[in-house]
Amino acid sequence: MRLHFNSCKVAILIATLLPLFVSNVGHGSDQRRDAEIHADKGLRLAQAGNLPEAEIELRIAVQVVPDDAGFLSNLGTILAMERKLEDSTGVFERALRVDPKDVTTRRYLAANLWQLHRYPEAKRNLEIILNQAPNDKESRLLLGMVSENMKDYPTAIRMLGSVPAQVRERPESIAALARSYYHLGQRKNAQRSLEELLTHPSGARGILLGAQVADEMKDYDTAEKLITAITSQSTDQATVGYELALVQYHAKRFAESQRTLLSLISSGYKSSQAFNLLGWCYHEENQPADAARAMQEAIDLDPTQQSNYLDLEKILLASGSLPSALGAAKRASDRFPDSPLAFLMRGSIELKMSQFTDAVVSYTRALRLDPANPDASLGLAEAQSNAGLDKEAVAGFEAAIRKFPQDPRFRLQYALMLLKLAESGNLSAETRAERLLKSAVALTPPLPEVHYQLGDLAQKKNRTTEALAEFRHAAKLDPQSAKVHFALGRIYRRLGRNAEAAREMDFYQRLKESESKAAMPPSGTGASQN
Amino acid sequence: MTLRFSNRPFHVCLVAFTFFTHGGTGKTASQAEIFTDVTEQAGITWHHFSGESPDRFLIETMGGGVGFLDFDGDGLQDIFFVNGGETPRGKSPNPVRNALYRNLGNGKFEDVAAKAGVDRIGFYGMGVAVADYDNDGFPDLFITGFPESALFHNNGNGTFTNVTDRAGVKNAGKWAASAAWFDYDRDGLLDLVVTNYVQFSFDNPKKCAVNDVPTYCEQEAYLGMPLSLYHNNGNGTFTDVSRQAGFDKLVGRALGVVAIDVNDDRLPDLFIARDASPNLLLINKGNGRFEDIALDAEVAYDAGGLAKAGMGVDAGDLNGDGFPDFVVTNFNDQYHSLFFGSPSLPYEDRTVASHLAEYSKSFVGWGTHFIDYDNDGNLDLVIANGHINQVVETTRNDVKYKEPPLLLRNNGKGILQNMREHAGPAFNTGYSARGLAVGDFDNDGGIDIVLTCLNGKPILLRNNMGQSNSWVGFQLQGTKSNRDAVGARLTIALPNRKLVRWITGGSSYLSSHDKRVIVGLGEGPQRAAVNVEIRWPSGTVQRVSNLRTNQYNKISEPIKHSPAAHNK
Repeated sequence: MRLHFNSCKVAILIATLLPLFVSNVGHGSDQRRDAEIHADKGLRLAQAGNLPEAEIELRIAVQVVPDDAGFLSNLGTILAMERKLEDSTGVFERALRVDPKDVTTRRYLAANLWQLHRYPEAKRNLEIILNQAPNDKESRLLLGMVSENMKDYPTAIRMLGSVPAQVRERPESIAALARSYYHLGQRKNAQRSLEELLTHPSGARGILLGAQVADEMKDYDTAEKLITAITSQSTDQATVGYELALVQYHAKRFAESQRTLLSLISSGYKSSQAFNLLGWCYHEENQPADAARAMQEAIDLDPTQQSNYLDLEKILLASGSLPSALGAAKRASDRFPDSPLAFLMRGSIELKMSQFTDAVVSYTRALRLDPANPDASLGLAEAQSNAGLDKEAVAGFEAAIRKFPQDPRFRLQYALMLLKLAESGNLSAETRAERLLKSAVALTPPLPEVHYQLGDLAQKKNRTTEALAEFRHAAKLDPQSAKVHFALGRIYRRLGRNAEAAREMDFYQRLKESESKAAMPPSGTGASQN
Repeated sequence: MTLRFSNRPFHVCLVAFTFFTHGGTGKTASQAEIFTDVTEQAGITWHHFSGESPDRFLIETMGGGVGFLDFDGDGLQDIFFVNGGETPRGKSPNPVRNALYRNLGNGKFEDVAAKAGVDRIGFYGMGVAVADYDNDGFPDLFITGFPESALFHNNGNGTFTNVTDRAGVKNAGKWAASAAWFDYDRDGLLDLVVTNYVQFSFDNPKKCAVNDVPTYCEQEAYLGMPLSLYHNNGNGTFTDVSRQAGFDKLVGRALGVVAIDVNDDRLPDLFIARDASPNLLLINKGNGRFEDIALDAEVAYDAGGLAKAGMGVDAGDLNGDGFPDFVVTNFNDQYHSLFFGSPSLPYEDRTVASHLAEYSKSFVGWGTHFIDYDNDGNLDLVIANGHINQVVETTRNDVKYKEPPLLLRNNGKGILQNMREHAGPAFNTGYSARGLAVGDFDNDGGIDIVLTCLNGKPILLRNNMGQSNSWVGFQLQGTKSNRDAVGARLTIALPNRKLVRWITGGSSYLSSHDKRVIVGLGEGPQRAAVNVEIRWPSGTVQRVSNLRTNQYNKISEPIKHSPAAHNK
């Protein structure tokens, strides 16, 4: 389980905000006096922890004296403490319009924007502060964090490196600095930074955060070292054990990860995520039955977690158990009737099993739940085409190409459908198909199948040189495609280039054997012919 | 019309003549329909039993075979049907029996299987290959099945004897599908090739389902088997030469076979249709071994490297160039395949250009044969279709479980036209058809067809168009060559074209055909005499001239090589 930054960001914010509450007192006139009374009351309520009522009081103060930067700042602060960040941001911006030189308010605004992931705006405000007050340590700290989020790692290192004391106070800042070092290839600096977490007052929480960073950056030894350091002292053995197993899994030490998890589970620390990871370990160790069982345990422990169902489907699919995968997909879609992803998965399995009319139903549902989802549009049109619903498929493809003009997959699938129609007697379909394929070439990502089909068309028309070029292009994009190597073998054979033909057929045979082994269902089960 | 081969008294011939001019039962065939279903009129009541069960064993959906043969030598084609069998949970209330329908000559048939001794076999039946393996003048039966096959010798007196063990052709432990008789070493004796399908057992049923309804599993769930080749020793025994021939290495899911000389070297070759395994084109090297050139011929896979679901196969000259062309039946969405043969490789895939793709897109094909149904001189094509999964209609809109057969007319250049509208009601009705055999059961020059249906009655289709054009019929008898003349090549030279026909071994799916050859001559019902060049399997070339048209001509192989020999 990963720790999110949000709670840490709030901690930073609160740490910087408290001094503000004592700054806004003592100004003239009756109206102002009235406003000040409300403002003082609000501040006292805030200090007592009654934020909703504090907000009311400060809103009254602002209403009475709308152009008081202090009142506005305090209201903004209270809203931020209530996590009403958008409202808080708007209020801070108002305050800054009244007093643009208020460094503190601008810093709070930047903190809000950072939490709202509006990094460029946060950065802009921090740069304004640092222009006015270059040594503002809090702003340097915050700019370092923002720069790391924006993947500007040199700036992140420069800023965070300039305020070491501030960075050391917070594990999140240490983590950000370490991550920046990793990204710039300064592995030793990163490790040194993370090692500070071993003696940090945040304890296990900070160390785990550091381990997650190391894991994320593929420095598995450091990650494991950090976690092992707290294994005996942490009170949250479930989390520590899981994190250790996760690092081992990422390091591809699947057997070790499996042992860690089994030890954790047998010690009574059963959790859905532990069984999920155990399932993946079994999968990597080619133990499909155990993998499915573990994943089912994960589901049983937390039936609300959709990802467990999807992972079970993926594992069953990978082991060739299509009927079981479909069973899992049906359970998932029943459990999560409003999840487009659940219906997408179900539809894709139904397609694989040639249950085309069922796939049409599933993809239709997915599209209804998420009309902007290109995978749902694509799956639906494909299913319709395979189900013999040609008119619907054509309409679907045409609409999808208009909606997703840069997605080459629609052009490809539509072309494949048209080529089938051409084979069945529709002569104009082939011309349209070729046009679609050629238009797909210019789009990204490049699809090997596009080039394969263009090669096939060229070969049928005896444009051998063109065909060879297209097949070669397809092979470069997808060297593991059996049928591309078959096509190359055939064309070389026709050209009398027998050695090359033999080589390509050899690739083809080996790839075909791997495909067959991968597709071979567990003994006693299988897919039906439809 | 003259019946040339009947040994019956004149009055029977007169009755038969009357029958054929007045429609026999009083019913006249519709002038519009090419084929008429005469099953009921013929008295064919036999029913196939597949042993269908909740276990959904694949074998339940794969049979049964049928063969035309004149078992009693009376000049009339009889029909033999192979039944399936029981499965562990698929039991029959009655004994599962084959049928041997004796042609009574008046459009009626009588089942004499029990009397003949061929009604029962001790295994699950699949197909039949008919030939006179011992050259005694009477056709014998090789019945394929699981987990063994059987050879029945025709005793010449209306009965058969099971000689399997003595002959050594039990093919034990294997699931045999189609078989073909052919003389691979040209010693005048017919040898036997058997296609073996998959490793199979009733002990561990594979479980597949669609929406929880049990279905038949994909063939790829089963491992393939090697072919079997049995050499005829000439003394009633055979030797298993599968290993010597290299057949033991040809492991795959074989279902269909046709034997024909593809490269014109006088040696019969083999085209093997295989199911989700690459097809084989086995060239006879003359030394007991065969070389597979299917890859070079580009008939092994489709253009995408996919091994299609090859079930049935036939060979014939569709485009009139004198070289054998091939049709292979496949699964829906794969199209049945059509390849034009040629002396150079690769063969041309004409599946799309011929329109066969268009017509076969939604069908699962089984038995098939090239026939000239209207005797215009162009070989047409007939195909039996039927899906294997009862639930297919719940998964898509364009494929049905029961599918109509296809009758496709050839324009002479290999472009096909679906004759559905004129072919007759049978071609507009859905069946679970499997085996398909062709033969002229009424000796009128029109090729008739019989189809078998899974768990159903067969369908006997009488051809009403055979006399639209002239034709010439051949009944060849080998002397130095095998008596059935399997492997013979006939060339009929007409003023504006040359027609080439072969007597092939095997062909279709699980089935066996009338060994006589009918060659349509086109150009109306009256035609002058024709000449034929016969290349016998032994290598002897015989030219026969002034053959009478619109009748069968019995021609024996000359003992001495004599170019002008005329045995009429």
